[in-house]
Amino acid sequence: MKLLSLSWSHRSTASTAREALAAVPVERVLSELRGRGFKEAVAVSTCNRFELYAAGGESDAPDAAGLLDALAELAGAPVEAEVEARDGLDASRHLFAVASGLDSIVVGESEILGQLKTAYDVAKKAGMTGKRLNVLFQRALYVGKKARTETGIAVGSSSVPSVAVQLAESIFGALQGKSALILGAGAMAELAAKHLVARGVGKLAVANRTWERGYALAARFSGEAVRWESFPDALSQADVVIASTGAPKAVLTRAVVEEASRRRGGRSLFLIDIAMPRDVEESVHKLDGVFLYRLEDLESIVAKNLASRAGAMAAARAIVEEKAGEFEA
Amino acid sequence: MTAQSVLIWGAFSLYTAATFAAFGYLFTKDHRASRAMLTLLGIGLLLHAAAFAAHVAAFWAYPENRFFLPLTSFFGALSYMSLALAAAFFVVEGRNRLGILGAFVLPFAAGALGLAVIFANPESAPLAEPLRSYWLNFHPMLLMTAYAAFANAAGVSIALLIQERQIKSRKPNELCYRLPPLDELDALNGKIIAWAYPVLLIGLAMGFVWSYIDWGTFWTNDPKIKVALVTAAIYGWFVEQRYVAGRRGRRAVYVSLLGFASVLFTFFGAEVLSGRHSYMVGPR
Repeated sequence: MKLLSLSWSHRSTASTAREALAAVPVERVLSELRGRGFKEAVAVSTCNRFELYAAGGESDAPDAAGLLDALAELAGAPVEAEVEARDGLDASRHLFAVASGLDSIVVGESEILGQLKTAYDVAKKAGMTGKRLNVLFQRALYVGKKARTETGIAVGSSSVPSVAVQLAESIFGALQGKSALILGAGAMAELAAKHLVARGVGKLAVANRTWERGYALAARFSGEAVRWESFPDALSQADVVIASTGAPKAVLTRAVVEEASRRRGGRSLFLIDIAMPRDVEESVHKLDGVFLYRLEDLESIVAKNLASRAGAMAAARAIVEEKAGEFEA
Repeated sequence: MTAQSVLIWGAFSLYTAATFAAFGYLFTKDHRASRAMLTLLGIGLLLHAAAFAAHVAAFWAYPENRFFLPLTSFFGALSYMSLALAAAFFVVEGRNRLGILGAFVLPFAAGALGLAVIFANPESAPLAEPLRSYWLNFHPMLLMTAYAAFANAAGVSIALLIQERQIKSRKPNELCYRLPPLDELDALNGKIIAWAYPVLLIGLAMGFVWSYIDWGTFWTNDPKIKVALVTAAIYGWFVEQRYVAGRRGRRAVYVSLLGFASVLFTFFGAEVLSGRHSYMVGPR
């Protein structure tokens, strides 16, 4: 089999070609290639990479120049300056590494696996895959899973919101049916609300000093707006609290939290303080059943997870190497 | 070697192996280890049940022992308790994807059965005259069932303390993500104790009733009774704290662990002091 891959990824400093290519729908890429006589091709387009895999036999081997020519026409700009071209074993090894998350900005992230699957499905539907790319992509998806389950490259959450959600799940279990309270209505508060809602938090309440802004944020996430004066009441009903107000001193004092904790019958309370200056008095962390994490606590967990993922890269590369070798043989 | 001792040694070896598999699962999160644990434990339970049946048959070989449970010897009591403990774990945690708790619960089962197998005499003897009563099938049986449940709760409590420490530390490691969520552990701990506590109380009450019927007095000045009442008081305190005062978290866990320490003392410690309740009256 003759395999060829062309990549424009986050690894390259220049990104004009990648951006131009990202704007082209992959269906158009595939139909253009078919029009030019290419038999098997899969195009992978994500925010961090544009990749094209093409395969053929001895007689109809894909040529890099032809592919680049087609892509340049689609992008409306020259693309060959920033390309990384690979063929044969190098190309399949590269695909397996991409599938394993070894080529991602956040090592081991699993989104890429889904994106490869989608890219493959689109190409298959367009009739642009044959025996060669079918086998190659199915193997790539398998290697991607294997590398993640058998090594530590995907262990631990890799972003602050996902670490926060994981901790919340370690305290409460599934977040469905749990309530969240957001103090503040700034950009950070909004981001936090987005993540909580995405993870299926049952109830969302927003308390903000300026009622209108709090109300607007609550409305965007079908939550409930709470008057600032009555946030201590809301506190006794919330399980997860995200504090990100611009208040000059702590709004969640030990007395307020102690009272809420008493009223909640000792049920656990998870407080996340992302405000600077701080919104929550440090001493509440000493209360039984109250867990206070500050932004830097979450960040250091992320850093630790990423470091341990990096430590597992060699093992994952070994799997990629082995499977690429098997594939070639 | 009798059939009974082959079976009981088999059960003990399997419980021990299941305990190692449980630790393997805790440290590697390899699901094969979890499945191995449940399989080993399941076969161990079958062997143990057969061993217990053989023990009952040997016990009933003395006509005067029929049809009382062989719980008055150290061997019989430990064997019954570890059977109840392992069976409760198998049914409650094993099926509720809480198999990871095996590392905290199964050591108790393996330990209790190990004591029985290695140190206790499995020979049966005729029951002492006053013990030939059907109350025997209820009073100690219920108490030992409650103790087995409390051992399960103690395992859950230890896991809960570890999980709580993990999250309080702000530097949780892998263990934190492997252990069940704090609230789930707390609910399980509370549920097991809330279920076992009435069993304990009924078992104790039956002891007093038995004493009244056979000896004409509710109260005997027996250290084991006093210690058992202390145990009941501690778990009563836990139930009050957990369900009436609504206190959870670390404090409640300490109370439940204190309760289990008291159970251990009631069972083993008071042995040295006790008259009527001594297992030493059985063959050693």
